[in-house]
Amino acid sequence: MTLLERAAPLDQLLAWSGEAAAGKGRLVLLAGEAGVGKTVFLRSFVSRLARPGPVLQGACDPLSTPRPLGPLLDIAPLLGVTFEHLLLEPGQREQAFRAFLAYLTNDRRAPVVIFEDVHWADDATLDLLRFLGRRLDQSRTLLIASYRDDEVGPTHPLRAVVGDLATTPAVRRLTLSALSESAVRDLAEVHHIDPAALYQTTEGNPFYITEVIASGLGTVPPTIRDAVLARAARLSPPARRTLEAAAVIGTRIEPWLLEELLPFSADAADECLSLGVLQTRGDRFTFRHELARQAILESTAPSWRLRFHQQALHVLVTRRPDDVARLADHAEAANDVPLACHYARLAGREAAALKAHREARAQFARALRHAAALSPEDRAQLLEDYAEQCFITDDLAEALQARSSALRLWQQTGHRDREGETHAHLARLLVGMGRNAEAEQSSANALSILTEGPPGPRLAFAYSCQAHLRMLNRDNLQAIRWGQQAVTLAEQHQDQAMLVLALNTVGTAMLLTNNEQGRTLLERSLTLAREAQLDDHVALAYRMLSSVAGELYQFTRADQYFSEGLRYCAEHDIDGHRFYMLAWQALSHLHQGRWREAAELALTVTARPGTAATSRIMALVALGRVRTRRGDPEVWPALDEALAMATQTGTLQRLAPVRAARAEAAWLSADPDRTFEEAHAAYPLASRHHHPWFMGELAYWQWKAGHAVAAHDLAEPYALQMAGRWQDAAQLWTQLNCPYEAARAFAEGHTEAALKQALGLFESLGARPAATHVTQQLRQLGVKGPFRAPREAAGPDPARVTPREMQVLRLLHQGLRDAEIARELGMSTKTAGHHVSSLLSKLAVRNRMEAVREGDRLGLITHGEPDHSP
Amino acid sequence: MPRYMVERTFPDGLEIPMNAEGAAACLGVVDRNADLGVTWVHSYVSEDKRKTFCIYDGPAPESIRQAAERNGLPVDQIHRVAVLDPYFYR
Repeated sequence: MTLLERAAPLDQLLAWSGEAAAGKGRLVLLAGEAGVGKTVFLRSFVSRLARPGPVLQGACDPLSTPRPLGPLLDIAPLLGVTFEHLLLEPGQREQAFRAFLAYLTNDRRAPVVIFEDVHWADDATLDLLRFLGRRLDQSRTLLIASYRDDEVGPTHPLRAVVGDLATTPAVRRLTLSALSESAVRDLAEVHHIDPAALYQTTEGNPFYITEVIASGLGTVPPTIRDAVLARAARLSPPARRTLEAAAVIGTRIEPWLLEELLPFSADAADECLSLGVLQTRGDRFTFRHELARQAILESTAPSWRLRFHQQALHVLVTRRPDDVARLADHAEAANDVPLACHYARLAGREAAALKAHREARAQFARALRHAAALSPEDRAQLLEDYAEQCFITDDLAEALQARSSALRLWQQTGHRDREGETHAHLARLLVGMGRNAEAEQSSANALSILTEGPPGPRLAFAYSCQAHLRMLNRDNLQAIRWGQQAVTLAEQHQDQAMLVLALNTVGTAMLLTNNEQGRTLLERSLTLAREAQLDDHVALAYRMLSSVAGELYQFTRADQYFSEGLRYCAEHDIDGHRFYMLAWQALSHLHQGRWREAAELALTVTARPGTAATSRIMALVALGRVRTRRGDPEVWPALDEALAMATQTGTLQRLAPVRAARAEAAWLSADPDRTFEEAHAAYPLASRHHHPWFMGELAYWQWKAGHAVAAHDLAEPYALQMAGRWQDAAQLWTQLNCPYEAARAFAEGHTEAALKQALGLFESLGARPAATHVTQQLRQLGVKGPFRAPREAAGPDPARVTPREMQVLRLLHQGLRDAEIARELGMSTKTAGHHVSSLLSKLAVRNRMEAVREGDRLGLITHGEPDHSP
Repeated sequence: MPRYMVERTFPDGLEIPMNAEGAAACLGVVDRNADLGVTWVHSYVSEDKRKTFCIYDGPAPESIRQAAERNGLPVDQIHRVAVLDPYFYR
């Protein structure tokens, strides 16, 4: 079919291909609904390419559980045996990614890579896209990923990848739309079909139009399925059967396999090819479109479908024994329960090794559906495998259910050691869900069972879990004691994973007691985890290093760990730890006076359904505190939810921040009684655990509310404030980079100079309630306003306008809106919005029109670039 | 969706000309709000044009602030409000 209305997108794609060839690599996200002609468009693009480089094509398949890294496996044979080997090696995923990137960046011939249908991509392929998208701009590669945008809902994992890549310089988007009414009319007239009916029913979808035309009916069938079936009805009975067998085989049909399913089918296959319902691609056949395959598959009699699946399974078991995901699919469709279970388990393990956790989880779930005949031990093991993948994909409730079922099986079969180990796993899950009391019970069970037998790695795990619970509760000395037992056992049994985990806990607990030796242990845990490629443990080490720094008010250090840790989690698709760090980063922003960023991050965490309770509590604290300090509404809904969740955990680590935030909110709404109640509620717990920072803030609020607290070991700035040494406190807060806290200390100074200092700081932060309070104090001192220089005196500060903002200003001058600016400069609309607002504030203007006028007046717009003014 | 009232102060008075430029300025605000899921319902302007009271629908107070920032509009205070109608009690 000729390409109608595709000239503009084709030219665009060729232009990007040229940019890529010139050394500015591009990742093009090619979107369009099913049947809009993405594949045909890409084929036409490839045929128009006038460049020497290779074209590497891979596709994602609509298997119910896709094969991990499918598109890369398609390409691998072209990259040599070493690469293929690396790809299939378990645990070598990152090396494979890097090897592929190295190939793409070092190749001077400007390769084109095409990944088709990434809406079906597995986790590992999505990671690969993210990985390449962030690094391609230094290469000569043009990477195109096509997908159906109408099938990518708000929770689809591809959405997250597209979102993550939105601000990456290499990324471009292209959308193929349906054909226009006039194009459809032209086609209809050529083929003597009612134009209005054709346009109305097909809505301009090229695949559907082709099928209608090819059906030869002269009228327009009501659905795509009818159109496809009408076309297939023109086949002879043997060819029709061949088409059905092909549909069962899948998207890519090996001729030899078709021959096995239907001997002597070569002529029939030729008929399918000549009518165009099948086509040749390389050494295989494919359907013209997945929609056509689905239509044929659904119309095939169930008995035939079953027979073909059984035969395909039978043949593939010997001819393609390694293609376990495909075998699992056929086995399930063939009702072969034992084989479905067997291959789904293998496919699950393969996917887990490739870190395609969603696929691994789905395969294990499939195996469980067919696991009735397994021995109780095997079933229990399968449940444990499934639970582990659920845990990694952050579905703690499902993981808990699976572990509990496994526990019952271990109990019934009398495997005491496995029972004990599962109790320890349960403890880890329960604590993540904020169910601390149950977690304590599970941990105690694990210890009492596992100490019955000889000490081994399982006992080390139980020690480590107990240590972890004690650390979370900030019983730091106990945590260190339990953790050291785990370290010793892990070292004796050379269990690297366990050693990493135990070192992490001991290190964290030491740091929390201000023992810097803890950092050495945590860093060692990080290094060992990296060496052993224990991604989850690497992320855990970052989580601890960063959040502990935050808890100890070492925000500069925390920010460093956040940036490394979040990058690591994003690259390795570890969401659980990522969201906890995001929540804590929000708190770090809050304390350092970056309230907009704090609110934005906190909302990112709270907006996500199913986030772990621990992450949600910390995000709610950040949100509640930002709202409190800005004088915004909805403080209490956020802090009430946080309190309910924190109360359920019962741990200091959650209760203290929530209570402190609530005390602050009560204080700013002029309610000293409530301030005292909130702060007092968590104070005994904090002082039992000797936590200087929690004690410090909680004591401070009680003191503010008029209750003296006899306390030792409070964090220094709070202690200074309570001793009336507000100047020293303000200085310390400034050193800690906490401007709001510094302003609060100045406000306690009661001199005109100190109060004005406080007012300036509060106003620059946008802390309206505190600023109002200080203004009142100044009035009471008899100081006459205005208390600050008029806004105009500050004046615009064009010197700080960045080159990027200059570009934005020029586009504003051309009357462009945020979305257009974003497109022009290759950034997200959100980022464009940030640039515009930053520009407005630097030019000290209130809106875009004024910005343009001010820019003109200051001569910013006419410099350098060609003048676009009318 | 919650409703908010936003108090704003314009020290030099708010001037939106009654012409195409003014219309474009208002529509620009509407467009930029839409990206954030925020709807500007209407505003009350004080006689001296130095204060406005703007009624907005939006997902959270932070969205209201972000919309104001993008539009270069000042924010004094955000209140969450509900409608009270005198005829409700008939």
